[in-house]
Amino acid sequence: MAAGVEMREEAPRVARLHAILWGIFSLGGMLAAFLLPVMIYLTGIAYPLGLWPFNGSRDPSFLVMGTLLGVLFVFVTVAGSLFHGIFRFQSALTEVGLLRLKKGLEAAGYLIIFAGIILLAYYLLVLSPSLPTL
Amino acid sequence: MVVLDALNYIKANLDGSLTYRWSCRMGVCGSCGANVDGTPKLTCASFLHEFKGRTINVEPLPNFPVIKDLVVNMEDFMRKLVKIKPWIIREKETPPEQGEYQQSAEELERYQQFSSCINCMLCYSACPIYGLNEKFLGPAATALAYRYIEDSRDQGKNVRFPIVHEMEGVWECTLVGECSVVCPKGVDPMLAIQKTKILGATNALRSILMPRGGR
Amino acid sequence: MTEKTFPELRRKLTSGWWTSNRHYVQYMVREWTSLFVALFSLVYIYGLSLLATGSRSAFLNLLKSPAMIAFSFIALIFTLYHAVTWFYLLGQVVPVKIGKTTSKPWQALVANLVLLIIVSYLVIWLLVLR
Repeated sequence: MAAGVEMREEAPRVARLHAILWGIFSLGGMLAAFLLPVMIYLTGIAYPLGLWPFNGSRDPSFLVMGTLLGVLFVFVTVAGSLFHGIFRFQSALTEVGLLRLKKGLEAAGYLIIFAGIILLAYYLLVLSPSLPTL
Repeated sequence: MVVLDALNYIKANLDGSLTYRWSCRMGVCGSCGANVDGTPKLTCASFLHEFKGRTINVEPLPNFPVIKDLVVNMEDFMRKLVKIKPWIIREKETPPEQGEYQQSAEELERYQQFSSCINCMLCYSACPIYGLNEKFLGPAATALAYRYIEDSRDQGKNVRFPIVHEMEGVWECTLVGECSVVCPKGVDPMLAIQKTKILGATNALRSILMPRGGR
Repeated sequence: MTEKTFPELRRKLTSGWWTSNRHYVQYMVREWTSLFVALFSLVYIYGLSLLATGSRSAFLNLLKSPAMIAFSFIALIFTLYHAVTWFYLLGQVVPVKIGKTTSKPWQALVANLVLLIIVSYLVIWLLVLR
């Protein structure tokens, strides 16, 4: 039964690029799990509603980006979350019936990731020069 | 009494044309897989008292083509099983006079649970990724490949890695996890696939950072 | 062995396959949290574009808008759900051996939740309170 079965397929090749992308995706998942909640809380909830730690006389308008460390935090968190979110969402979309659009979705996804991270880095660099390190 | 007994009763007394696979009737041969009330199970391991008072729906295993009644076409799975070369691969065989390949208890533990697979294919029926994409290597084949990758006596990593780390290998898996839920032997193919992904990612990184070094 | 062909019944998975089973539904919800993780990142990058082009007030007004606050609440809930399910997954796929016993997924969940609280406080302390 085994004879002839192995001949008809071409030799399998390691998907090295995808392995690396998966590794970045996993790292992004860690960052999104550990760092994104506090960032959403500070930026989207604590600041606009005046909750702790933005409930006193402290000037909140720098939010978390008052130092270079803060800028680094924002970059790592947002870039990691963007990569992880888009990567996972494009596979989730193929699973609910859009399988035939898979190549298109992947291309669009990586485009958004690439553009997003470039823009993110650019904006943060623009904001950085006047900031203290820590 | 189990669902398999009910099937045998139907075939013996009600409809002799009912066609289904079974053999050992005690959960070790892997022949009698079917969808019992929507879940892939071994019919010899599905006790009737769990369904007291209800009509039991028995359907052929999902994600496989149906030949007749409960019998499905297993060729795709069989092909994948052979593809991953489920045997010890040695660079050099040592002659029998030198004795057997020694293995410690710790070395055995690293792959033992993955050797429990009885090829019943319940995991393939539970896996929606396989249902959507027939090219996906799938839970059992990957778990078996991992069983040999982790076996200290095996030296066939270079042969097996391209198979599990190609695009339709482990990378299609999105950790639905249903494979490990339905496995009647506790193989936990989800764990094997995940560990294989980690191996793939570290290998890829190593091959980029140290193109000539390492193995 | 005869290569006999016979008519076979092929059953295709419909796009509603995930509704048939509680585990599948939970899986889908877990995967779709990624949408909010990605969306918040994109919205934040948009906000940064306002900040970087000099209009600090536009950025802050965006954050104070009711739509943004509502979105942040929803995004936070989904991100926390991502974190919780991610920690449970870690427990399933990276079991840790402590002596003779192997860790269970719920233990990884609890341990990482504690870590999340500690890390969150550290972030607030390092970047806001000081």
